[in-house]
Amino acid sequence: MTVLSIENLSVTIRRPGRQVAALSGVSFAVRPGEVVGLVGESGGGKSMVARAVVGLLPGGSHATGRVRLGDSDVLRMDDAALAAHRGRGVAICFQNPRGALSPTRTIGKQLVDRLATHQDMSGDRAREAARELFETVGIRSAQRRLDAYAHELSGGMAQRVMISLATGCAPELLIADEPTTGLDVTLTREILRQFRHAADTDGRGVLLISHDLASIAEVCDRVVVLYAGTVVESGPAAQVLREPAHPYTRALLRSVPDVGGRPVVATPGAMPLLTQEPDNCPFVARCAHADRTCSTRRPPTAPVPGGGEWSLACFHPQTRPLDAGTPPPPAAEEKGAETGANPKPAVLEVEDAHVVYRSRFGSGGHHALRGVTLRLAPGETLGVVGESGCGKSTLAKLVMGLVAPTSGTVTVAGRALVGQPGRPRPRGRALRRARTRAQLVFQDPIGSLSPRRTVGDSIAEPLRAAGLSPAQREERVTAVLDRMELDRSILKRYPHELSGGQAQRVGIARALVGEPDLIVFDEPTSALDVTVQAQILDVIADVAADADRASVFISHDLATVRGFADRVVVLYLGRVVEEGPVDVVFDTPRHPYTRALLGSAPRLGPTTGSDGEAVELVKDLEEADAATGCPLAARCPFATGRCRTEQQELQSYGESRAACWRVPELPALIGRQAVTP
Amino acid sequence: MAELRTVPGGPAAAPVVVPGGDRDGRFASRMIIAGASILSVVALAAVFAPLLSQWGETEIDAANTLVAPGGSHLLGTDGNGMDIWSRVLYAARLDLGIALAAVALAVVVGTLLGLVAGYFGGWLDDVLMRVVDIFQSFPTFILALAVAALLGNGTINLIVTIAAVNAPAYARLVRAEVRSLRELPFVDAAITSGASPAGVLWRHLLPNSLTPVRVIAPLNCGWAMLTLAGLSFLGLGVSIPEAEWGAMISLGAADVVGGRWWTSVPPGLALFVCVLGFSLLGEGLQDRANAKRR
Repeated sequence: MTVLSIENLSVTIRRPGRQVAALSGVSFAVRPGEVVGLVGESGGGKSMVARAVVGLLPGGSHATGRVRLGDSDVLRMDDAALAAHRGRGVAICFQNPRGALSPTRTIGKQLVDRLATHQDMSGDRAREAARELFETVGIRSAQRRLDAYAHELSGGMAQRVMISLATGCAPELLIADEPTTGLDVTLTREILRQFRHAADTDGRGVLLISHDLASIAEVCDRVVVLYAGTVVESGPAAQVLREPAHPYTRALLRSVPDVGGRPVVATPGAMPLLTQEPDNCPFVARCAHADRTCSTRRPPTAPVPGGGEWSLACFHPQTRPLDAGTPPPPAAEEKGAETGANPKPAVLEVEDAHVVYRSRFGSGGHHALRGVTLRLAPGETLGVVGESGCGKSTLAKLVMGLVAPTSGTVTVAGRALVGQPGRPRPRGRALRRARTRAQLVFQDPIGSLSPRRTVGDSIAEPLRAAGLSPAQREERVTAVLDRMELDRSILKRYPHELSGGQAQRVGIARALVGEPDLIVFDEPTSALDVTVQAQILDVIADVAADADRASVFISHDLATVRGFADRVVVLYLGRVVEEGPVDVVFDTPRHPYTRALLGSAPRLGPTTGSDGEAVELVKDLEEADAATGCPLAARCPFATGRCRTEQQELQSYGESRAACWRVPELPALIGRQAVTP
Repeated sequence: MAELRTVPGGPAAAPVVVPGGDRDGRFASRMIIAGASILSVVALAAVFAPLLSQWGETEIDAANTLVAPGGSHLLGTDGNGMDIWSRVLYAARLDLGIALAAVALAVVVGTLLGLVAGYFGGWLDDVLMRVVDIFQSFPTFILALAVAALLGNGTINLIVTIAAVNAPAYARLVRAEVRSLRELPFVDAAITSGASPAGVLWRHLLPNSLTPVRVIAPLNCGWAMLTLAGLSFLGLGVSIPEAEWGAMISLGAADVVGGRWWTSVPPGLALFVCVLGFSLLGEGLQDRANAKRR
């Protein structure tokens, strides 16, 4: 008995001048009460599957095969049947929940509308049902929230509302298209649990679409891995995760950094864009195990011997376990000792910096940074981590001189970027010269390149500012291109012609070309696909290792920082709550917030032991108020009256420093929490 | 295609086709081609006017005033005995020339003002935009009348008049574009690469903010042509004996009442065709820009 059964589904999109084989012979099923994860990188066909299931294939699609929901084939439904099918048969949660909610109607009205349409409820009964639905997905003060508008909700809250909207119609199948992209780690876990809950309590089938295998693995029963529109591997989540047999699944898992410190292994190349159904293995060009058979025949999908439901489309299944949980190489410690021995002049000094964004109306303002102090020596790499809204990006802008501190000072390579007491504010050419000593690599690789300037122009920009001649510029640009392993021909191209990975290499090339003293990487990989992420992390690790330069690596993802940072700083609501050598902070976190972050980070392989020590924060971020006392007090399960009133300063605990007075008592407290949840 | 979708449980091998994939930008391209062709014909007619007509622009055939179309005067003559066909051709030079020059001037001035106001903001933005507000608070044609009356007749004055009326719209358009572009990461990237404000404006913001201008300008050319004709019709534009469509319509208006339609209808048609050309071109460009954005 299945809720959804997709049989040999192929979708080709034909438009004048181009043709794309979006899906080629995809088959899988979802049973009631089961959570199935559909994973793969962008372009793999995940969203196309979702579109086929809800009957929203794009214009120009030619589809063959069947998409069975119950007794009927969604591909061949008429409009009336489709209308009934959407909602009652299948409901979908989108990636951008705030965009999917109507901005001019209260969320309560939107939910009541759905209940009226699909469940024939009306008036008070519908409103009562709506309140209950809100409570089930974990929305506090649900009665009050019913009258809220979409813009009043945070990302996590909006996603909860989307889930309640989707489940409210009592669908047999719930589809979630990247439901946690853009959410913080602590929230991701909570939202994913809601889907597990929907499957367990109401017996719905859930199809969970994600680019990140590790993060959804925990809640999935089975996973289906898509590559270039084909199913390469599918089976029970635990098996596929622990010992994936398809080289692509293995590449996918190895590309994701892990908080345990397992090294990232990059896979070269990128996913091909197929114009017709492949007659060979689509992964052949990137596969280390490929031979002639792989490039001439398409591997059939066959069950793995003794694997139950586990099946695979590969001629050379890999059987060795993926080396998850290997301890990190000890190289980082040597490096730390070296920098400690002979102190060099600091490249970056941030002294008690505060940044307040003034509100345009009224007297209020947003306090983005509250007294941050940093010092960075040449050759050092500092990791900065924290959830969205913690001030990471403001810190990057502050260091780059794009934002002026409300108080405090910032010095880059001995030159102040903004006014200091007794010295005039640098202006004009002097300011521009000082600025080029620090360079920024942006989160959005394509958006950070001027759309109507060639790549060559963009890379040479810092050299132009430095007043170099065209010949000198060309020499430096080609040198940096070689280092980024980019072809010369890319110089004449425009940003929209680049892939994300190429664009980010260009971004790093532009940052490097002027030989700055400091490079700030602001979430440089979060907009990229998983295997491309690993390639770019390799490049960044190489750049960050340059001895005469310091780097700051900003990320919401703790695991990426562990790879190559020497020291790490954990930011929370504009304050540094913990800092120290990277391995010390990761292995023996002190602050409750750091513990919570590490606890909710996805891990591959068996999750034994560490979970018992994790701290669960009690509320969502937006409900916290950091006006007085410890910024975490509202969410910390161990907060006392002292926490709420007393400002917490960084204190040394072993090799690291944390801003929490209860650190010595915490292990005992956490033990107690684990016993009585 | 609709039949295919309604077959319940039809053979799985027969493809289900979703219509609608083959239309992006094709209609827009046709509009662009049509508009550009019309305008090319008009432009060629203007350039080769001496070859297309045996009569000069202001040549008077005193013996044949108000003759009907046919014979040696293809479209007849007006009350002064001037050949309508050749005047319609020669008028294209003035009408096209003034409209294009006026819009070009408006684009240059408006874009510069918009760039500066949008990028620097603050009091400069406030002052510039209030001036723009003043210009835009008058109905445009009334404003054009006032400016034309103030500046007086003459080709240059007409160009300045029409440009002055149009520039504020470009200033607003570019300012809005710059204000949204300024928030994008590539501007921060240019600043952190050490680019000066002039460099950021000239190399990064200007090329990127011109997209909407490219779409609006052709539409605006049609409008500029109508304004010019309107001013001339009212005697504030080009004056007799120079050939200009609006002035010709005005001159012939009295004769039309007497049944001599050929004095006013040909210049009116020429004006109509020209404005249609610009509209098709502008609309086509707009549709194509929208199709690209999707």
